[in-house]
Amino acid sequence: MQEPTFLILTALAARAQHGYGIMTDVARISDGRVRLRAGTLYAALDRLKADGLVASDKEEIVDGRLRRYYRITDEGTQELAAEVGRLRANTAVAASRLGLAPGTA
Amino acid sequence: MSDQATRRRAGQQRMERRYRRLLALYPKDHRREHAEEMVGVLLAAAAADDAQVRTPKPVAWALRFAEHTADSADLVAGALRIRGRMALNRIGRAGWFSRTARDQRWSDALAVVSVVAPLLLLVAALAEVHIPQAAASSVTGHPHWQLTAALGPADLPLAAGAPAVAALAFGRLRRTAGLAALAAAIGQVVSGVLRSAPAFTRYESPAVAFTVLLACTAAAALLLSPGPDRGLALLTRGGTALVGAGALILGGFSVGGTMWFGAASPPSFGFAGLGGEVAGLPGDLLIAAVLVTVAAACLRAPVSRRVLALLAIPVIPYAVLWQEKLAGDLFGSPSGGASTLIPTSVTMTYLLPLILAGLIVAGTWLARYRATGRARRVDPRTTSAGPPGTLRA
Repeated sequence: MQEPTFLILTALAARAQHGYGIMTDVARISDGRVRLRAGTLYAALDRLKADGLVASDKEEIVDGRLRRYYRITDEGTQELAAEVGRLRANTAVAASRLGLAPGTA
Repeated sequence: MSDQATRRRAGQQRMERRYRRLLALYPKDHRREHAEEMVGVLLAAAAADDAQVRTPKPVAWALRFAEHTADSADLVAGALRIRGRMALNRIGRAGWFSRTARDQRWSDALAVVSVVAPLLLLVAALAEVHIPQAAASSVTGHPHWQLTAALGPADLPLAAGAPAVAALAFGRLRRTAGLAALAAAIGQVVSGVLRSAPAFTRYESPAVAFTVLLACTAAAALLLSPGPDRGLALLTRGGTALVGAGALILGGFSVGGTMWFGAASPPSFGFAGLGGEVAGLPGDLLIAAVLVTVAAACLRAPVSRRVLALLAIPVIPYAVLWQEKLAGDLFGSPSGGASTLIPTSVTMTYLLPLILAGLIVAGTWLARYRATGRARRVDPRTTSAGPPGTLRA
């Protein structure tokens, strides 16, 4: 799973969010390291929707503009959990090879 | 409303217009569903960026410009990603790379060509880098031919592509081999276009046209037939001998002259085609005799007639090459000059093969159309339908 996909699913794992909310949340989760732009975000959302990992939620009009919320699906939750497991296993191996104590990696 | 607010509003409207123009690059369905929210997100992000900037005016302007440029580039990249994904899905749904020719005889002919064409392409590539010449030289001790030392990037599509196509085709990776053959053909044309050489030594050259069209024929055969396994099962002993003869004359054409045909003197002129130097009327006549024999033998059965039609596509530029050499041998002047029997042209080297390919496609389509018509006449149930779209039990 690519990092933007991982971060988008992580952002949506907490609650349903609209496009701009996802962008700011991803920046927050990654400590400002990853900044999604609209083109990248909507291309990723399009793919994730097609794969059934994300679905449209509610819509609202704010300041005369459409705001659509997205939520993670059950399949998306499973996919994210599996990715977390993979990353955790890889991190554990890397940490043990570096001789780091658990919690310091 | 203050002047500053009016200016900000006007700037926002300009930005929105620019983003909307870029959103036109997105597919219609995507635009219908997401355009409004994307504009909202873009403007919200731009407003947040503006609010964060606390620098002198010129620096702020430069930062804003950089951000808007990055957003615009990202929108274009996003449109390309979505369109690319849609195109790939369409190809996947249509099963373009899993289709084979429906007519059994054409399917079998393509299967035979999927064996022959990669082999001939390999021989052509080996000849290009003078490997048969070097082998002949090492056997006979003749000092004239050596492995070429001047293998440049322009030779790479054929030199690397042909062995890859043959390895993939016989390694049971038919579709990958077909795509590799297509890439080799495109690579040869592109490197020919980019090559800063005089006309008729680049992609217009019949030698290059031969390998380009051979690669295209190999690609079509590999993508549209059951593949080399079926082709090898169909190739009889006689057929195998014909393939060998074809490979031999191709190799012989490039090795040619003093080595194969025993001419007393070295070649009178440099024959650049396929990297070889060929001279001697006996050689020309032998090549013509082998080609005619192969063609005559292929005329006997329906499948081999179709094999002949398919292989004629790359053989047309090969024949152009042959008549250039024949003219050189008869009149003693360099190939490609005014003394060729038929003046070499792009029409001769590419248009005629393309017309032939078009005729083959049109002929198969017409045959299928007629067969469908006959089937309808025989089985009236297939035509006794009501208006289009009517469901029958």
